[in-house]
Amino acid sequence: MGQRTGPATRRGVPGRLPARSPVAGLRRRGLTFPEVLAQSVSALAPSAAMVVVPSIVLVESGAATLPAFGAATALVLLVGWCLTQFGRRMAAVGGTYSYTAKGLGPVGALAGGWALLVGYAAVAMSALVGASVYLAGVVGLRPTPLVVAALAVPLGLLATLCTVRGIQLSARVALALELLSTVVVLAVLGVLLLAPRGGPGTAAPVVDAGVEWGGVAVGVVLGVTAFMGFESASTLGVEARRPLVAVPRAVLWTPAVAGVLFVAAAAAQVVLLRAAPLDVLTSPVPVAELADRQGLGLLRRVLDLGIAASFFACVTGSTNALGRVLFSMGREGVLPRALGRTHSRFETPYVALGVVLPAVVGVPVVALAAGGGPRAVLTASLTVSAFGYVVAYTLACLAMPAFLRRIGELTPLPAVGGLVAGVGGFLVLVAGMAGASWSGGRTVVAVFLAVMAPGLAWTAWLRRRDPGRLAAVGVYDQATASSVLPGSVRTSR
Amino acid sequence: MTPAIDRGLTGRQPKAVQSALAILEAVARAGAGVTAKEVAEDVGLPPATAYRLLNLLVGEEYLVRLPDLHGFALGRKVAGLTGSPGPAQLSTAVREVIGELRQQVRFGVHLVLYSGPVLRCADVDPDHPLLSTAEVERHLHATAVGKLLLAEQPDWRDVVPPRRLVQFTERTVTRPADLDAELRAVADRGTAVQAGQLHEGVSCAAVPVRTPAGVLVAAIAVTGPGQDEATAAARAGHAIAFADRLGPLLG
Repeated sequence: MGQRTGPATRRGVPGRLPARSPVAGLRRRGLTFPEVLAQSVSALAPSAAMVVVPSIVLVESGAATLPAFGAATALVLLVGWCLTQFGRRMAAVGGTYSYTAKGLGPVGALAGGWALLVGYAAVAMSALVGASVYLAGVVGLRPTPLVVAALAVPLGLLATLCTVRGIQLSARVALALELLSTVVVLAVLGVLLLAPRGGPGTAAPVVDAGVEWGGVAVGVVLGVTAFMGFESASTLGVEARRPLVAVPRAVLWTPAVAGVLFVAAAAAQVVLLRAAPLDVLTSPVPVAELADRQGLGLLRRVLDLGIAASFFACVTGSTNALGRVLFSMGREGVLPRALGRTHSRFETPYVALGVVLPAVVGVPVVALAAGGGPRAVLTASLTVSAFGYVVAYTLACLAMPAFLRRIGELTPLPAVGGLVAGVGGFLVLVAGMAGASWSGGRTVVAVFLAVMAPGLAWTAWLRRRDPGRLAAVGVYDQATASSVLPGSVRTSR
Repeated sequence: MTPAIDRGLTGRQPKAVQSALAILEAVARAGAGVTAKEVAEDVGLPPATAYRLLNLLVGEEYLVRLPDLHGFALGRKVAGLTGSPGPAQLSTAVREVIGELRQQVRFGVHLVLYSGPVLRCADVDPDHPLLSTAEVERHLHATAVGKLLLAEQPDWRDVVPPRRLVQFTERTVTRPADLDAELRAVADRGTAVQAGQLHEGVSCAAVPVRTPAGVLVAAIAVTGPGQDEATAAARAGHAIAFADRLGPLLG
């Protein structure tokens, strides 16, 4: 391949370095590594997942809960590693959407990009409902649909203001909230573990249920959904300091640390729930239920506050990422150019963030007003988002070997890694959709396919009618005339 | 799967340092647009190792990936490795433009050349010499020409670590956040001003000289007495037309 590409590129490529990056306008190189990490961590919302997901997995996988979490962590780490192959080579603003473009071309990228938009938007909605439900619990209100809807509007507005004001502010707020809530969850689990427990409760047969492959598969799928959003630091290519180092690091560290937290939380809950009655296990937040029954009402309030904080951070994190993917599409001209505008003072993609607000707040509020239970809205939008994420991840993983081949840097390890991660992602998607269909969630699958349809239709239309607009897909913060050694590359005169 | 590369190099990996330097040399020798595969063959490293080191050097901005993503070029940081360059060879045409400006204003007119993150006083006004050329070249946060250079960087902290924001006078900007704000203003305005920040009672305005492609290559500095920012900025007005004339001569 070297012989073929080498001499041609050497003559052809240098000389046309632009003076301005195609994604100029965002505040350049301002975020330190902890702030970049905060983006991924907040979109993942570890503490909310720590208390909600293990018990769901327990019901499905029984004694295989910990191995299921281990397998999910391994798969997500592999996906993360695939994404770092892009992250070390290009500073993107569109996350996996921009990555996919470099391997699968514009059509694959738009399919993955639309799925990513669905993922970020749906998880923002879900987290908004979650934040409202738990906030209601903190202030002592019953989380009726009306109360939740009434809380969701100001919370959504506040989150969007945070994101428009600046990524640095929202990252710092998010990191503080996540740290606080993770500490709270760990403390609550610790207190419960230290409290005296009786013998095995009525939930013990479920907790120690024999291993069935179907159950383990569903457990892995659910475990994977707990990590969704871990890659969102990849939308900070312009704003991160040393992005080619910081972004891949954040994308790999986030699932590694979250995996440890999840396995620890799952292990603690296995021990706790074995001694608990069955109705605790099937309650929405068994940890909080346990705290209540131990007579630790205050602990429950603190836990609610922690979870609400985590969910709120997740709203800002997902909205940040969502706005930046839309911003990329606006800059490319695939979506209206106005989405690519940035605020002159705050240097954030304020148009894209503003467009997102009515959807993120409006959809759950309408669903709640139409009589949907807050829990149902929360889990349904979370499931839709998980499908979106998995589609985006799968396409990006499959794009990775193709990308490396195109630039002549493919080695055996990434080739195998990309393939395994891609196939793994695909299996998770199939198992998840089948699982959702069995358990009466057929509507959720239908909703996901319905929201994917406009994006795919738009892509098909562009492909047929206006292929020129697809040519720009995949913009990233590329090298400019001022990033090379002066005089080493000819710049256009 | 361990991100060994992310931990950077430690002093116990001499081989890696040697290989990284060999890669830098290979890119410098081959010229912009050389591919990773060519570099690996040139240096004689296994491809996976070479690609990892290339990515590391790109991450540290000593190398740059060209927009096609498979060609490499030397990054602007490499300019900083060359240390203080020898005396500048300015063409007669450039000297004439500067001389013409000096005849028209009553203040000190100096020409400063930029090379990546490095600044050099190439032509100091013999009638109004700078108080200290060395300090101007070294303390970029306290001078107008330095701020112009820092405002052009993706991240000024790469060039001047925040702990090296030395205080010269009461007016010197020493807080990173303040410098952030000031550099943003410089980027918006296009010119930079320093009033009594390096030496009491001396102010300076800097007008950028850009190549037709927009690359910052030099600056005209106009220095004079007083420490009022508006006065200092007004002095630079005259130099803008001259900076425009210098662009094609230096680009």
